[in-house]
Amino acid sequence: MSLESPESSEERFAHKVEFELNGSPERHCVPTSATVLDLLRNSCGKQGVRASCERSVCGACTVLVDDLPVAACSTFAFDVDGTRVETVEGLAAQDGTLSAQQQAFRECGGFQCGFCTSGMLMLTTALLRQNPQPERDQIREWISSNTCRCTGYEMILESVERAAELASAKQQDQVSE
Amino acid sequence: MTGFVNPCAPEDAPIVGRNSPRLDSTVKVTGRAVYTVDIEKPGMLHAKVLRSPHAHARILSIDAAAARSLPGVTAVVTREEITGLNSYGTYVKDQPVVATESVRYVGDVVAAVAAVDERTAFAALDLISVQYEQLPAVFDVRAAMEPSAPAIFPDQPFAAYPEYGDGASGAAHTAHNVSYEFRYETGEESVWADCDYIFEDTFTFSRMNHMHLEPFATVAEATANEIEVWTSTQSPFPMRKELARVFGLPENDVRVNVPLLGGGFGAKNGPKTEAIAIRLSQLSAGRPVRYCMSTEEVFLTLSQHDAILTVKSGLKADGEFMARQSRVLLNGGAYADASPLVAEKAGYRMPGAYRWKRIDSVCQAVITNSVPAGAYRGFGATQATWASERQVDLIAERLGFDPLELRLKNAKELGEEFVPGESPIDSDLKHGLNLVADAIGYRDRTRSSNRGMGVAIGIKDGGGVNKPAQARVKVTTNGDVFLNCALVEMGQGGHSALCQIVAETLACDPKRVKYAAIDTDNTPFDQGTNASSGIAVMGHAVLQAAERVKCSVLDTAAEHLMLDRQSIRLDNWHIVDAEGTTYELPPLIMDRFGGTGFEFTADGYYKVRNSSSAPLEAPCIFWEIGWAAAEVEVDPETGRVELLQLVVSGDAGKVVNKLGCRGQDEGAAVFGLAQALFEELRYEDGELLNGEALLYRVPLAEDIPRLFSSITQEQGHGAGPFGTKGMGEGGMLPIAPAIAQAIADATGAQLTSLPMTPERVYNGIRAARLRQGGADGNA
Repeated sequence: MSLESPESSEERFAHKVEFELNGSPERHCVPTSATVLDLLRNSCGKQGVRASCERSVCGACTVLVDDLPVAACSTFAFDVDGTRVETVEGLAAQDGTLSAQQQAFRECGGFQCGFCTSGMLMLTTALLRQNPQPERDQIREWISSNTCRCTGYEMILESVERAAELASAKQQDQVSE
Repeated sequence: MTGFVNPCAPEDAPIVGRNSPRLDSTVKVTGRAVYTVDIEKPGMLHAKVLRSPHAHARILSIDAAAARSLPGVTAVVTREEITGLNSYGTYVKDQPVVATESVRYVGDVVAAVAAVDERTAFAALDLISVQYEQLPAVFDVRAAMEPSAPAIFPDQPFAAYPEYGDGASGAAHTAHNVSYEFRYETGEESVWADCDYIFEDTFTFSRMNHMHLEPFATVAEATANEIEVWTSTQSPFPMRKELARVFGLPENDVRVNVPLLGGGFGAKNGPKTEAIAIRLSQLSAGRPVRYCMSTEEVFLTLSQHDAILTVKSGLKADGEFMARQSRVLLNGGAYADASPLVAEKAGYRMPGAYRWKRIDSVCQAVITNSVPAGAYRGFGATQATWASERQVDLIAERLGFDPLELRLKNAKELGEEFVPGESPIDSDLKHGLNLVADAIGYRDRTRSSNRGMGVAIGIKDGGGVNKPAQARVKVTTNGDVFLNCALVEMGQGGHSALCQIVAETLACDPKRVKYAAIDTDNTPFDQGTNASSGIAVMGHAVLQAAERVKCSVLDTAAEHLMLDRQSIRLDNWHIVDAEGTTYELPPLIMDRFGGTGFEFTADGYYKVRNSSSAPLEAPCIFWEIGWAAAEVEVDPETGRVELLQLVVSGDAGKVVNKLGCRGQDEGAAVFGLAQALFEELRYEDGELLNGEALLYRVPLAEDIPRLFSSITQEQGHGAGPFGTKGMGEGGMLPIAPAIAQAIADATGAQLTSLPMTPERVYNGIRAARLRQGGADGNA
């Protein structure tokens, strides 16, 4: 994190990266060694993306790149050129209304210290896009890619199940409208 | 404290006990939560440290000239730059800001650098040259105590320790490489002569890392005369006191700000990154310095205590427990840190949940050349419970008792004192045992090969010893409420629960209560967020502050409205009189106080009174109990254990936040599950083999049994506000022994070491077969 100061290493800013971040265009020049984590936290102000193990093990930094969850700590910034990147900051509506995933984690207590929560929410978002009604086994398998040290996981698994329910209810509301 | 007065819960408690989302839920699900790692200051520098490659070595020389002259480097700290600074530690002050004469473990900090960015700081570290003379190192606690072992501290560091009460004693440096020794005894030695059976067994306990997802991190802004830090600590005021002592400043020149913590589990007590960041800032003309460790550095900073526990227990022929002696060696690593306190607690908790006529415990914290060990969820009770409960199962097998029945026969009754002078037990222990046993079908099971069940109970004195807490509540003219106290939110839900207590008292919506930012200049004093003390200790101070504010509002309103003070009540920032007429408070307050209004403010304070007959200075405020029951299936060919069912239970006394209580028990249980089956720091000749996230296995969702549940009991005997007790650690205690007994029940393998890896289970099964074969041969 903050590995290099912009002033000290201008010559290494070799890559132009253009991508869509939570629906808005972004353009940055990044050094070759910059990770997506550096880019999002330091250049784009997305501090909801958490840095923890920085070895792509814990998943605290999980963001979506073209709908797939990736470990931002272990993905080069130049790799997201031309992609669609989504972070936790993009989940809620403009007016602050929480997404189904956010509501579910809130309601079911799927967090404690909150440090894994951004990553868990992005993982949930990706899972529900692939399968809007996942079974417990599939949820368990997906959530096993990230670490939560606080909850003991059961309440996270319940949160994901609840998120699926809320999302499908929302969708039905929209259809009936 | 009687521990039995159940402070009247309001008849209709609409807020305390709700299943409502926590008040910090929105910031945490939107990513807006701010942790210390998110703090940025203009002109902020970045720190990195150089660590010792040797487990034990004398520092001959340090040449940092090239590092100092590297462009972008603003300061380098070596032993030269800490002259005059004090060392730190709990009780034993043995840890210098950076190493001075010698390094004492692989990872000991030798030098630190501040630079404009982390890359430059890393480059500067490469330019520091350190000449070492290697010294013999010792890693094993028994070996370290041998007179021939190298003295890790040739000069005994300064130590201060408490005055214990009846039966307890403690002292520093009682034996070679022992930083602290705690002793407790009660009852007559002659009890042993009345025992029909005496068994002695030795158990070993493994060591885990806390693995909090937010690493240790500090931003410091400091000059020679003034220090301000933003830091990830569980103990803002002890941190202020310790930093003031280290830097020789008055406490009002040290200001500690504490944002949200990304997990703590005990690790974030005592200085970690703080002193280094401060010293670097002082040497960088007061520019802010951020020192954020990597996960690999966290592994080199603090761990749990591994332990060797020898327990001797005497019984009557009918299974009645009579006498227990324990000798516990904790591996404290290279610096004492919280080892003295952990030794005290591990020794004190060796009797477990049972009635003994004679108790004799000795616990020594041993210095070795390994990563320092300190506070860790369970705090000595996890070690004690492993040995204590495991031996109950070994004895049950030897004498042919059912392990659950032997526990029920000897468990203390509700209201029975733990030891003389200590608080009485405030949970029905047997009720909890039966509850978890029934939840897994312990008594109704049909025997099937390779499947087994186990039940265990863990107990710890909760709420900390001799622990004061202060709090302040203030309400604006419009009825917006601030709660000002130093309970750190590290995931446990403490902020939310305390705000609920305020809302309950003031009869307002909990959303109107804001937990004010923690800053030691403005926040009332407290001893730290530890020992599951949030609800039971701080909760009292908060409740008192809120009640005093309420009284002050009602007094003012009664006088102004000329109503009988006893006939009015507060409801949603209105006054309601006996007839049900409501009066808005804001106009009343404006009318009474004029100007822009008034803030009602009141303070609260709580502390259990000291007592010389209490072994540990003061009786504990509550007993934190964890009950667990487990069912396993073991593959005898591979030793692999599959956890089929796990039920954990705690007694909240009275629930303040249901989701919070459940989360604490389940989270603690999963720490226990991991310690039972796989998670451990692995060492080879003192070298840590798995000190990084890729190699260090922590539990994942896939490790949780399909049948995993928690039962939050509300037995109602807690001494906290509304009858509450603390939560958070109890759930960890009984898990490993319950799983161990389930394995024994399934296979006959009686394991005495953690974690219970397939290899250990396989060897245990073979040993059990040999034992049975031998027994058959004798018959």
